[in-house]
Amino acid sequence: MDAHKVSTNVTHDASPSSASERACADHNTQATDTPATLTVRIKRQRHADSAPYYQSFTYTGTRDITVAALLDVINYTDDLYDTEGQPAPRILWECSCLQNMCGACAMVINGIPALACQVFLRDLPPDKITLEPLSKFPVVHDLVVDRRIIEENLNLTRMYPGASKAPDSREYEHLYTIAKCLKCGLCLEVCPNYHRGERFHGALLANEACLSRGLTKERQKDIKRAYAKHFAAGCSKARSCASICPMNLPTLSSMLKMNR
Amino acid sequence: MKEILIIGSGISGLTCAISLAEMGHRVTLASPFPSERAQSVMAAGGINAALDTKGEQDSVACHVADTLKGGCYIASPTAVQGLCAEAPAILRWLETLGTVFTRDANNRIDLRAFGGQTHRRTAYAGASTGKQIVTALVHEARKYECDGLIERRLGLHFHSGLIRDGHCYGALMYDEVKRVFEPIFADAVVMATGGQNALFGKTTGSTLCDGYAAGKLMTQGVTLKNLEFIQYHPTAIETPQKRMLITEGARGEGGRLYYLDGDQRVYFMEDKFGPRGNLMPRDVVAKCIYDVPTQVYLDVANLGADVIHGKLSEVDELCRRYLNLDVTKADIPVYPSVHYFMGGIAVDNHHRTNIESLYAIGECAAIYHGANRLGGNSLLGAIYSGKVAAGTIDTERVEDAASKSPFSAVYIRRDVARVMNECLGITRTEDKLLAGIEDIDHAIGVCEKIRFDSSVSPYQSYALKGLLPLARAVLTCALHRQESRGAHIREDYPETSDRFLCATIMRYNNGRYDVEFVKEV
Repeated sequence: MDAHKVSTNVTHDASPSSASERACADHNTQATDTPATLTVRIKRQRHADSAPYYQSFTYTGTRDITVAALLDVINYTDDLYDTEGQPAPRILWECSCLQNMCGACAMVINGIPALACQVFLRDLPPDKITLEPLSKFPVVHDLVVDRRIIEENLNLTRMYPGASKAPDSREYEHLYTIAKCLKCGLCLEVCPNYHRGERFHGALLANEACLSRGLTKERQKDIKRAYAKHFAAGCSKARSCASICPMNLPTLSSMLKMNR
Repeated sequence: MKEILIIGSGISGLTCAISLAEMGHRVTLASPFPSERAQSVMAAGGINAALDTKGEQDSVACHVADTLKGGCYIASPTAVQGLCAEAPAILRWLETLGTVFTRDANNRIDLRAFGGQTHRRTAYAGASTGKQIVTALVHEARKYECDGLIERRLGLHFHSGLIRDGHCYGALMYDEVKRVFEPIFADAVVMATGGQNALFGKTTGSTLCDGYAAGKLMTQGVTLKNLEFIQYHPTAIETPQKRMLITEGARGEGGRLYYLDGDQRVYFMEDKFGPRGNLMPRDVVAKCIYDVPTQVYLDVANLGADVIHGKLSEVDELCRRYLNLDVTKADIPVYPSVHYFMGGIAVDNHHRTNIESLYAIGECAAIYHGANRLGGNSLLGAIYSGKVAAGTIDTERVEDAASKSPFSAVYIRRDVARVMNECLGITRTEDKLLAGIEDIDHAIGVCEKIRFDSSVSPYQSYALKGLLPLARAVLTCALHRQESRGAHIREDYPETSDRFLCATIMRYNNGRYDVEFVKEV
């Protein structure tokens, strides 16, 4: 694939000083580092009901690529072998936009939940990275999990404004920002209080409640009640959700507004 | 009340589902992933409507003229007229659902300039118009989900249309979690599956849009249209994982394209087309960039940090994250990239395909954009087409799914039995066997035509397709065994022959019936 042929050459000089200097630099060929070699250890599972196992692969190339691009590089080699030389099935993972807009590629990277399209190898330890599926959702296969519980819980709590009112213009910015929630589930993965979404529905509910309430007059009470039952009652204010959010949603300020 | 299956839950599918639910119909909204993963969330630039909030004497007529001209006059003028006339009402509808469009200093919906447009006409919601619209539509759809009028089915991939006698009555879906196929039956099926991105590996859009549905339906008899018109967006950035779009809004706000000739910046678009040269239609700009022998850059730094952080924050973020480039200080190296498919499933002005009860909307349908789409018209087309299809489905009577075939499955079965009894009696002859083969071949031809006989059970109908070749195979074996042995008695070959001291092996090969005699060991 062309994208991959190109990808291994792309590096970026860090400090462009002026537009013309920047423009003069040969952007696509200037290498800033020699190719790195690292081990990519992946938690795999063939089907929902089969046993998980770990399999490692060797990657040699630039560190200036994201984990998403890395998975493509591994998958698009002609024949895929693991570090033991055994033939391996292609690694299944979920992706859509590949640019931080859709939340599909959520996974656990070196123990930290993140979007694979956001995390660059250069920001990870040099020798080895470990990729695992999100742990709080059932595995479909490999790094793909079934996150349907997110939709189900938003339906259960009836998170929608209904007949909308024009929002208070002072609230525009907050509403605009929380409307960008990807429903990726990273805030649920990292939360010490969220397990399977049975009663406590996690931070995404707090933002969704705040958004829905900001757009309605008539349903404010219902929304507040659902928020109290399925969020406020179970939140221990660990605040891990706020720092993990790939869109930097102001979850704490949504909570403040809802608790007011 | 009708039962409708919509496949694809981006902006177009959502709009169609909401519109049908408003009319009181029951909708199954099926997709592999939730709407948050749809390509719709990536539409950053905006949505066109001749609101004329800038006092520039814009009108629906101007919007129609620009769209037809941009599409090089092969789109239906009637369809485009409908699209543009409805645009202002669509914006008001989105506002009532809670989409907050960016306002100007006078608190009117702000409009930005986009390529190929004679007036500022593109409304936008910050730097994430598509995402903001998706969020509002998901909320509205959820209201109907909670009331039971919309049922969302996630985890389902389209496999094929359930189509017989030119009539679609549902679709076969694959459930990737359970690993089973599931047919979903419906009075109407609406395809909202997006463009054909995967044909090109990766494009600026979503990897989920692969065009499979259009290709599969084509092989099932659905007509396609204008496939050769593929839009290259002029300005994308090259990153290790894909080419990412820099919105046309960047040029709408005043971004300038140039290349370097020595130390000299050459603003080639402005040189060629005048001050508005950077905003020529996409087909024109992409070709001009292609013709430049060296790297082309987009200068947005000249707009100042306020405009960039206010209106182009997504451009700023993308370049910072993936190119490590600060667009307030440095210019963006840009490349044309495959972006949009004007062609797709052929639909009429009511979004009907050539198959009864099968509709197509959004990017997978070919209708409004002719040979080249204008920026800001795809979100508009996605929403408008969803509404039009819903209106068509609401007013059309439910087609009787009964077979219109003049051939009856029962008649063919009776005929087969007659042939078999006549040709494969206690004694057989070459003449009779050959005549029987001719009769069965005729029945196979007829069976291809009837496809479905609603007067019998579905099994009795489709079973013909297995029974008839089997009948043909039996006759062929009897024809080739030119001897008499045991239960096979040939009047024309009364003796047993050592040549046939073998088993008869039958292989079917693409319409050919091959016989081989093999000695048992």
